Amino acid sequence: MNRTLSGLLLGLVGAVLILLPLWANSGLVFLAGTTMVVGVFALSWNLLFGYAGLASFGSGGLFSIGAYTMAVMLRGGFEGQFLLLIALSTLVGGAVAFAIGFVALRRSTGIFLAILTLALAELLRITLAKIHWLGAEDGIPSIVRPNFSVGLATVDLSSGNHYYWFMCFACALLVGLCWWIAHGRFGRTLRTIRLDIERAAFMGVDTHRYRLVAFTISGAIAACAGALFAPWAQIVTPDIGNMMRSTQPILFTLLGGASSFWGPMIGAFLFSAIEFSTRTLVGIQEIITGAILLGVVLLFPTGVAGAWNALVARLTRREEAKIAAPALQTVKE
Amino acid sequence: MFTLVNGLTTGMAVFLVAAGLTLVFGIMRILNFAHGAFFMIGAYVASTLVGSAPRSVLALIAAAVVAALVVGVLGIVVQRFVLRRIQHVDEHYMLIATFAVMLVCVGFVKLIWGLEFLSVDPPPGIDTGVDIFGLFVPSFSLFIIGSGVVVFLVLDFVIHRAWTGKMITAIARDGWMAELLGINVPAGIMAAVGGSFALAGLAGGLLLPNQTLSPALGDTFLLLAFITVVIGGLGNVRGAFIAAILLGLIDGLNTMFLPAYPGVAIYVGMVAFLLMWPNGILGESRL
Repeated sequence: MNRTLSGLLLGLVGAVLILLPLWANSGLVFLAGTTMVVGVFALSWNLLFGYAGLASFGSGGLFSIGAYTMAVMLRGGFEGQFLLLIALSTLVGGAVAFAIGFVALRRSTGIFLAILTLALAELLRITLAKIHWLGAEDGIPSIVRPNFSVGLATVDLSSGNHYYWFMCFACALLVGLCWWIAHGRFGRTLRTIRLDIERAAFMGVDTHRYRLVAFTISGAIAACAGALFAPWAQIVTPDIGNMMRSTQPILFTLLGGASSFWGPMIGAFLFSAIEFSTRTLVGIQEIITGAILLGVVLLFPTGVAGAWNALVARLTRREEAKIAAPALQTVKE
Repeated sequence: MFTLVNGLTTGMAVFLVAAGLTLVFGIMRILNFAHGAFFMIGAYVASTLVGSAPRSVLALIAAAVVAALVVGVLGIVVQRFVLRRIQHVDEHYMLIATFAVMLVCVGFVKLIWGLEFLSVDPPPGIDTGVDIFGLFVPSFSLFIIGSGVVVFLVLDFVIHRAWTGKMITAIARDGWMAELLGINVPAGIMAAVGGSFALAGLAGGLLLPNQTLSPALGDTFLLLAFITVVIGGLGNVRGAFIAAILLGLIDGLNTMFLPAYPGVAIYVGMVAFLLMWPNGILGESRL
């Protein structure tokens, strides 16, 4: 029951997103595209947090590495190989994450890892803001949405809503990838490590290696999301990887529910909806967002997804009880 | 020499903010994201009291004390309604809850004081410089260094020497046992949290001149204060003091040798510190 309901909801949301440009204005379409990308970004973060139990506060840095790689390559005129560029950005992000994880994961976890990653991301942002080749504070403006060819067909992403639909497709692929990672053998092993690292090590799991691989994959997907975002926003600035960006996936995940795979996505869309509906109210926007977050943390610690699951479970149990009740009566008679 | 003074000024400014942060971590085990926001509220309250040109040093200090009281009271409210409830849940939920408190604070600041930047001049008496061994030192720097040292000495005395500090240390070590011994634990925690927030407000008031007040003021200081608290060893006030000085000196050297890249070395330094001493230079302590 729960699974069918969730599947139906997922299909419905997907259909609405794909058909959105047909009736909504461009501002709303832009918001939906951005939300999809940051939703994927949050999913990648939760692979690390919800499955491996590691909280990174510097994921914004990896997002910005992906975005800058894409922006520089597109500026360099490599737009014909757009798919390759996405792969390249993903690889760069993965490599950086691997290097950081290789040094940091052996030495620190918990709050220390959080602060270390936060500092690294901030270091990257400050350095980017000083490099003139990358446009310093102003970043790289007017990034083109490319035209590229796959075999015989040419894909034109520059006109109309083509890039939006391309992003829908790419995000769906990435979500599928995350789903596959999280629900396969790898994801299950990670969850074992999070629940009890000593027991996992005792059973012969190389916990350090698994955590490092999770850190790398999570970083690679974050960079991929950044690479998709650069041509969508058409400008990258150092602020693309600021502290707010790094806290975004954390907020989305905890709002939606860290123990659920879809939690970060739900959180991303809820957050965007709140921000969109309160965008004209300076000051009140923050108060409402903060109050909702506080309410969720204090009242539903499992997030929206957890509350939803509990609700569905309760409803279905009641239905089962209704079905069971007449049966009991017949027995009595 | 000039580097030294500059570095010490930065270091003490950061310590003023970090002192309250490490205090609340020591007793509640909560890394308070909202600390920067309360620092900012302190600065706004003090600026409302003194206007854009404070009349004297004394007026500035008085305004800082009033700001400390206001923010301390706010802190007790936050403790009563938020922090107390999340004390025993997973640390990530604490982060998110204090982040939410921060958003609410920033929202109220935008509502009350608006979005424009405000600035406050140093009051007469500390608006010029003094000559020390042929070196021109801005006296406002000396004021900040002095305040930092005074706050550290008072805090260190209260925690390690006075009766209240011993009570709070006992609560931080083992709340259950402390309660068994007849210590009023909720009151002790309340006092420590109130004190921590009051320190944030005081820092806001004291650092007011030469700052540009904007709703984003909390962020810059928050990050530096986090770093200081972590390098010093979470919950360790003495460690935070040393870490703040070290970071300040690193920043001073940075402006001397690499003026084109301000603020880079402080992060490089902190990453190096964290990798060398993952538990902080003086080790983690419960106060």
